[in-house]
Amino acid sequence: MYADTLLILFISVATAVFGEGLTWLLVYRTEKYKKLKAEVEKQSKKLEKQKEMVVGDTTERSHKKKLERQEERLKTNNRDLSMVKMKSMFATGFAFTALLSMFNSIFDGRTVAKLPFVPISWLRSISHRNLMGEDYTDCSFIFLYILCTMSIRQNIQKLLGFAPTRAASKQGSGFFGTPSQSSK
Amino acid sequence: MSTKKKVVDKTPKEATLMTTFLKSISASSSWPDKDEFLDVVYWMRQIMGLAFGLIWGIFPLNGILAILLFFVINSLIVYLYYNTFQQVDEEEFGGVGEILKEGLMTSFATFLVSWIIMFSAIHHS
Repeated sequence: MYADTLLILFISVATAVFGEGLTWLLVYRTEKYKKLKAEVEKQSKKLEKQKEMVVGDTTERSHKKKLERQEERLKTNNRDLSMVKMKSMFATGFAFTALLSMFNSIFDGRTVAKLPFVPISWLRSISHRNLMGEDYTDCSFIFLYILCTMSIRQNIQKLLGFAPTRAASKQGSGFFGTPSQSSK
Repeated sequence: MSTKKKVVDKTPKEATLMTTFLKSISASSSWPDKDEFLDVVYWMRQIMGLAFGLIWGIFPLNGILAILLFFVINSLIVYLYYNTFQQVDEEEFGGVGEILKEGLMTSFATFLVSWIIMFSAIHHS
């Protein structure tokens, strides 16, 4: 069981690095992405500052209109940024679906870890997926893999500086949205 | 006749890892760059998540109470850190909630992974 657990941890790290590497190759290193990202960050910070300044004095119409125009521009840029990211999202999506189905068949019906808690009923369909018996502290591959990915991918993104800045996430983000806690 | 004023760059110097670390461990540091402080809170949380997971797994603590205990201690430490140790004004960062939820879910995921691995390894291998 212990070997399986460590193997899943390793798989998760490897897929996270692979995913980020692929995204870097297809998106992050391109001039278009760099330019758009810098633009979005600049506009987000500017907008945030201006919003702070006009708090309490919201009656000024020209200010409001200016803010609205800037928000609109930011939205357009965010949309463009999401479109640039789409290419890699499809590529990684395909790669991960293939990898996940392969790992699923390898670990099918195997208890990979023991949970120190009993998951709530709607989580059991994932945590006890394809496992025999009624012991809900048995953990399936997919549950541990999802948890590892949640932790490792986010941290790798942050370490490598690929996550969007807080200002950009706060001002709303394109089609798919980005987690507000990710930054730098 | 217009004279161009020299624009003084007021942005803080690029923070290096070492200076940020030194600032984070000294009391009442000044944090002109909000993101820098929130990053400190983020990484502090990740380390806590990992450490608590290992401790919870070794003892072992289990059940929903252990999860609640993680959230309580984690949030309490962050609160004491920014409020008592660093004495920052939370309103500058968008309120108490913004600091308290910074990196919380990632920290929780890190905690769960280390807790499950340690628990399985020690008590069920």
